[in-house]
Amino acid sequence: MSLLSMLIKKDKILMAVTSFSYLASLIASVSLGNTFLSTKTPISLFNIFYLDSLSVFFVFTISVIVFAATLYSEGYIEKELSHNEFTQDKLKYYYLLLNLFVFAILLVTVVNNLGMMWVAIEITTLISAFLVGFHNTKNSIEAAWKYIIICSVGIILALLGTILFSYAFLFSVGTKSLNWTDLIAVASKLDPNLVKIAFIFVMVGYGTKAGLAPMHTWLPDAHSQALSPISGLLSGVLLKTSIYAILRYTMIANRCLGISFSSHLFLLFGLLSMALAAGLILVQRDLKRLLAYSSIEHVGIIVFGLGIGGPLGLYGALLHIFNHAVTKSFLFFGAGNLVNTYGSHNIRNMKGALKVIPFTGGMVLIGIFALAGFPPFSIFYSEIMILMSTFNQGRFILGALFSIFVTIVFGAIIFYFSQIIFGEKPKNLQVVREPLIGKLSFLFLLVFIIFAGFMTPNLINGLILSIIEALKG
Amino acid sequence: MELFVIFGLVLSTFALVFSKRLSALIGNFALQSFFLSLLSFTEAIKGNNLELYVVAMLLLVLKVLVIPRILQNMVKEMQVNENLGFFLNPQLSLLVAAILLYLSWVFSGVVFANQDNLVKIYGTVSFLMISLGLFLMVFRMKALAQVVGLLAMENGVFLLASSVSGGMPFLVEMAIFFDIFVGVVILGVFVYRINKLFVGIDVNKLNRLRG
Repeated sequence: MSLLSMLIKKDKILMAVTSFSYLASLIASVSLGNTFLSTKTPISLFNIFYLDSLSVFFVFTISVIVFAATLYSEGYIEKELSHNEFTQDKLKYYYLLLNLFVFAILLVTVVNNLGMMWVAIEITTLISAFLVGFHNTKNSIEAAWKYIIICSVGIILALLGTILFSYAFLFSVGTKSLNWTDLIAVASKLDPNLVKIAFIFVMVGYGTKAGLAPMHTWLPDAHSQALSPISGLLSGVLLKTSIYAILRYTMIANRCLGISFSSHLFLLFGLLSMALAAGLILVQRDLKRLLAYSSIEHVGIIVFGLGIGGPLGLYGALLHIFNHAVTKSFLFFGAGNLVNTYGSHNIRNMKGALKVIPFTGGMVLIGIFALAGFPPFSIFYSEIMILMSTFNQGRFILGALFSIFVTIVFGAIIFYFSQIIFGEKPKNLQVVREPLIGKLSFLFLLVFIIFAGFMTPNLINGLILSIIEALKG
Repeated sequence: MELFVIFGLVLSTFALVFSKRLSALIGNFALQSFFLSLLSFTEAIKGNNLELYVVAMLLLVLKVLVIPRILQNMVKEMQVNENLGFFLNPQLSLLVAAILLYLSWVFSGVVFANQDNLVKIYGTVSFLMISLGLFLMVFRMKALAQVVGLLAMENGVFLLASSVSGGMPFLVEMAIFFDIFVGVVILGVFVYRINKLFVGIDVNKLNRLRG
């Protein structure tokens, strides 16, 4: 019920594009999401919407990031307006797209029908392509084109997988249905060979959208060219929605085939993504591309954790979904401010951020240590859980590979960002004062970055535990 | 009737690969969609089901009439060079298509192992349409060819859904149609923008972002 009112609220916002009412209702949606967490029984509405712990976990993550992104948008757009990069018309257009985008993302996580889920994911691609190509420059149009084409191909393969699942259902039960609840109920009776093939298609298809190597090629382009609040959303939320879709199918596949089939696939894609990101992150010159490659690495870590499995590994992977979402959007917001201040994406042109733009500089400094996985911050906890689970199971080679890749990325990130943050202030730049509303967005996310690790909120904790129960198969 | 439709689908799919000009490519796509809608009409008559009629009608209107029309208009309006720009020439492409046909047959045999031959043949044709759609996207230079390739892939998936798994739920089918239509319009907008910024719609010019 509360979710429905949330959706209606969103619809209302779509019509009233004024940014203030929009902000207020997003705060409301976060609190609604929170009250929602306490009930903990699956809720279904007219057989169309279905919410279990997995959905609620993602709705919560999405709400947190979207709320922060809208706060940040205010400050960001004010600045762009003063640089004449934005006009009033574009502002309305931007909010319209943003709202549609968020609506589609939320829809993915709450529909029961797997076909509708597919449609919602495809809609997120179509809408966000405009947000990637927003500035209409050569670079951004190229990025948007690659994004929309590669993701559409991927997602058509996912549709093929969806249809094979529905065929498997028809074959063993004799009726037509694409509802997830129906599929999961008979999962153990489905034809294993068919499910294997279908799951591979789904994995490759949605994996494309999740940014898994080797289907990741659109990701660095799109994330670096999008507006910074949107980069944060793409990295923090959109990649995770595809992981949500994969998890839905994993639950079915695990009941049918046992855990080993999906976990081998997960390990393969996870390690590949981490290896590729570790290699390419070393040669980046563009700040936002650097962060995009780090996203590929973290999606790799999440999938690796899902593949390693065991209660601890799964817990780490799921917690990492939340942690990465929070930390990466935090950093993309910071990167957006840096790019705006220096007027360039190139890391070499940025020096002395702490002196030029003190607040963002400081925040980015914290964010970098959090992202690299330094102890007090949340990402450290989820990574160490995954690593411990790996070693507990005696898979030392996998554990060693994991550590090597994480270390390489750690080094690269600290190296590049220390160049940006420290050093002398360039003479031609004034010290920048930042709007309060933008600062609030950083502080809001910072709370989660610091505390989600060693003081995981009860809500997240309870949700993750019940998801693990469902994933066991 | 079914054999006729299957034959038509294979032929039009091969024609897609063999087309040398944009307008021919779009025409062949319309032909492919026409055979597909023919198939759904026969199924609608067989099942005597209103929903199936609606789906077949929408297929006919959207994919045979509206979308090809939009694409043809774009070709005319932008006055781009009509040649597709081959990374692989038509003769070799046809050879690849033949190989893919065989592979689709083998794959279809694996997926639908315990089914009768008609299902296997439908599976083969749809896998062929999907793989050749992908082939078009990779080996043709024009941005519009990628759009057509994408649509051909979607046709293949539609064929699989309607012939093998008895069609998707009605609501989902409608949502997918809507999605495709919006997708084509949005891709069209981007093709216009590419044409303006890059002077022409050759995708091999889109090479600024690397690494």
